[in-house]
Amino acid sequence: MLTYTLLAGLLFGLYFTLIGLGLNLVFGVMRIVNLAHGDFLMLGAFLAFWLFSLFAINPIPTIPVAFIVFLLVGFPLYYLIVPRLLRAKDPEMLSFILFFGLSQVIQALATILWGTSERSIPGGQLGRAVAAILSFITGRTVENGPVDIFGQSFPAAWVASGIASGIGVLLVYWYLYRTKLGYLTRAVMVSRDEAIASGIDVDRISAIAFGFGLGLAAVAGVFAPFLLGSITPAMGAEVTITSFAVIVIGSLGNPLGTLLGGLVYGISYMFMQSYYSSWANLLPYLLLIAVLLLRPSGLLGRQTRRA
Amino acid sequence: MHKFGRDVFLILVPVVAAFALLPSVYSNQLLLFNFIIFIVLAQGVNVIYGFTGYLPFGYVGFFGAGAYGFSLMVLHLQAPPFLAIVVGASAALALALVLTPLFRLSGAYFSIANLAAALAVLQIVANPNLEDYTRGPYGISLSGVFNPRLAYAAALAVLAATLFIVIFLRHSKFGLALQAIREDTISAGMAGINVVRERVIAWLLSALIAGLAGCVFAWYASVFYPETVFSGEFTIFAIVFALFGGTATVVGPILGVVILYGIYNAVGISTPQYFQLIYGALIVGLVLFLPNGLVSLLRRWGIDVP
Amino acid sequence: MFGKVRLGLSIALLVSIFGAAYAAEAPKEIKLGTLYASSGRFASISMPVHYGLKLWIEQKNAEGGVFVKAFNKKIPITLVAYDDQSNTATAATLFNQLITQDKVDLLVSDSGSVLTSVGVPIARDNKMFLFDQTGTGSAFFTPDNPYIALMSDPVSSVWPKPLADFITHDGKSLGIKRVAMLYSTNDFTGTQATAVRKFIKEAGTDVEFVYDQGIPTDTTNYAVLINNIRAANPDAVIHLGYAPNDIAFIHSLEDGGVNFKFLFCIYPGLETELLEKNLGVKPLNYIFTYVTSSEIEYEPNFGMKLKEYKELWNKKYAGGNVEFGFNSVAGYNTGLVIEKALSVAESLEQLEIRKAVFSLSGKLKTLDGTFELDANGAQLGMSTPIGQISVDDHGHIKFVTVWPHDVANGKPVYPRP
Repeated sequence: MLTYTLLAGLLFGLYFTLIGLGLNLVFGVMRIVNLAHGDFLMLGAFLAFWLFSLFAINPIPTIPVAFIVFLLVGFPLYYLIVPRLLRAKDPEMLSFILFFGLSQVIQALATILWGTSERSIPGGQLGRAVAAILSFITGRTVENGPVDIFGQSFPAAWVASGIASGIGVLLVYWYLYRTKLGYLTRAVMVSRDEAIASGIDVDRISAIAFGFGLGLAAVAGVFAPFLLGSITPAMGAEVTITSFAVIVIGSLGNPLGTLLGGLVYGISYMFMQSYYSSWANLLPYLLLIAVLLLRPSGLLGRQTRRA
Repeated sequence: MHKFGRDVFLILVPVVAAFALLPSVYSNQLLLFNFIIFIVLAQGVNVIYGFTGYLPFGYVGFFGAGAYGFSLMVLHLQAPPFLAIVVGASAALALALVLTPLFRLSGAYFSIANLAAALAVLQIVANPNLEDYTRGPYGISLSGVFNPRLAYAAALAVLAATLFIVIFLRHSKFGLALQAIREDTISAGMAGINVVRERVIAWLLSALIAGLAGCVFAWYASVFYPETVFSGEFTIFAIVFALFGGTATVVGPILGVVILYGIYNAVGISTPQYFQLIYGALIVGLVLFLPNGLVSLLRRWGIDVP
Repeated sequence: MFGKVRLGLSIALLVSIFGAAYAAEAPKEIKLGTLYASSGRFASISMPVHYGLKLWIEQKNAEGGVFVKAFNKKIPITLVAYDDQSNTATAATLFNQLITQDKVDLLVSDSGSVLTSVGVPIARDNKMFLFDQTGTGSAFFTPDNPYIALMSDPVSSVWPKPLADFITHDGKSLGIKRVAMLYSTNDFTGTQATAVRKFIKEAGTDVEFVYDQGIPTDTTNYAVLINNIRAANPDAVIHLGYAPNDIAFIHSLEDGGVNFKFLFCIYPGLETELLEKNLGVKPLNYIFTYVTSSEIEYEPNFGMKLKEYKELWNKKYAGGNVEFGFNSVAGYNTGLVIEKALSVAESLEQLEIRKAVFSLSGKLKTLDGTFELDANGAQLGMSTPIGQISVDDHGHIKFVTVWPHDVANGKPVYPRP
């Protein structure tokens, strides 16, 4: 029972990491509280659902599609909203409200278009891809079904999302620390004003980061029908709170921090479910507050100077 | 000081009187009651955000604490309503005291932590293990003290008290000190203002306001689930109404509630599907084009808004 | 002689005056006020109920109105319905609006205990009788409140009795001793869990609970919980949650390759179409559930039969976003009760309507089942037998009723293959 809980926590924690990655980027770069993060995740989930039910497209190829679509959505959306916002007296606070409004608009449109019923995608879809990958790696034929890890069996979808999350973290890390654009992005993260003074086109950098953030949210959304049971237009709110907990526990700006945050969150949640199941939902909030009060820059330490 | 008296006469008295008299011409008293609650909550947000710049995204935590404090007194000790209100308000104050360490955090962090705190309180109250104390997720049902008329009168009293507090803040040195803290904490400190103490007082006042609102709400509704009195919607509405009207003024939040909540009820009844859409778009537009609220518009036209 | 004529004329005059007054009393319309949730967490149980009620209203109006005995004629029904968006505070204001502004003649609740709960004190305070459609919270029905009765579902504290009876009676011969129960902690499923526990303990057999946990209603992650249940080695697993919980739970079983010998869930029975859409038929095979009136052809003594109703529903709402299921029957059933009550009530006064509704107890049989109220208005009838899902060769879901024995039409398959 203990082994299972631990492994489940690790695997599921990886999914939480994926959820938090996009938010981390957006918050770190722009100090914007994207309260609509969960709703973009929801949109990604529905994209995967509709592509599957209408065109029988497997979720795996949907992943890059979702990423690109929302990258393209995020870029102009940034220009539409943020520069105005930053001119106001209290942009951080107002961003709360603004993105909340956006979240309501997205939810309302989704409800009008698709109704409120739950939707899901059969787990076997991801299972096939995982089986193929595992067969390739191990050289043996692995069947579509639950995956065996250290003798405990887990849904294939969890493994798939874990892999995707790992890739996501590496990609973001590589972007931030190994590319010129990422270098500039980190400059903006540390101090926006100084970046402007250095001649960096802060708006363009931020818009790209925003697009990435939404793209990552959508990618996490593609896995949602498998990991969150079912999807509905109203699922965003809960996801947003969870993502905040994850990125705060880790540390702002650094994708490795989000990785750590996701794992810590995942493992603690699973343990709570095992031993104190009715209190499980209390945990994220307590963790969040505890981290904020005891180690406000997150478990990995300060990566960005606070405004 | 005479501005204080002026505002009491021109704002507090008419507003309270209006809500006291309206039930005789408009029988949906519950709707009027909700208007009162939102005006009170918006003013509470006004006190903490307008005057000190901290956005209490978990404001509903105090509301719920007040509601549960009231309800538990009635349920377990069969307390008379007015005593229960005192206890409920104290519960909100106690919660505020517990959360004061959050002030170490800045801006968005504070708001997120405050939100997490409110959600944590909800989880604790709604937990089935505490069923014997809080009735857990099965909700509260107060049959003994059901008295909507008296509860409405109590709400009027809370409204008057709240407006009084805000008018006081608007025209007192204390209020000015708070605004100084909001503009620039460091300079305010250097000017001799005890930043920490003033902020805590404002925080407690704001929590008290929400707590009182929660008590009368519990009294009026008498049947509710934990999610009802800890619903994020109260926070959101209060913040949006306050911002729309304009914070750091007395009139702003009142205007915001009357206009936006009025629209909410009108639209909500006639075109419900598009309701969430319209409301969301309104909020986005508000932040983008009128971030300082309606009163900033009035100020631009040269009207001095109290 | 003139005296007699004068007397006759006076009587005729009096009669005509009273007659005119009597005829003038009959209202032009019967206003029926109700709420529904088009969005939010209760929309999926609210919209089908609302649509069912609407169907009944349209049917009656097509016939010229509903027959009201108080005025001895058919009067058309005007529906006044507001959207509460699953928000309880909004619902409360809207209930009040219906009563104080719209001055409705009949007050019908929204679906589910949460949205009904706010209406209970309001209806009581305004002395309006509340037709509670599917709000099964047992706290609603108290001796000091005459203004409520439950229409279409059995009250939560009684509903799971067939399940407990099946386990303690037939379960013995199947070898069921160790029971695991996982439930979402809310008024609906939490109360059912308490009832199951109570009934099983009261039966005094050697059935024991090896796992008994309550989890928050918004739980979507069941992997660890399922693993822990498995570790307890149960003979039977009972999962009591709302539809999203059931979907996530069964999904998790599928994905994790876990199979329990006996699994009971509520919503495969209550919202079959929804679960089928989300899970497909294979994961639902051999699951035990409540067999609702949308699956059993009851013999009603009033109103349409299930088959006809389903045809009418499909004609009207085919291809829409609202699934046919138990809740659609529940809404229509409310209409039937109202119709029968109006046909016997002496006036439209609220307590008189109440008397009429209670008079139907034990006598009215609709496509939903037998209508039976206790003294406080809680529904004791409309009970749902226990059945097992069986998927035929064409991939269609059928229900094999296994308990109570007098309605059973098959034997349970145990353990689950």
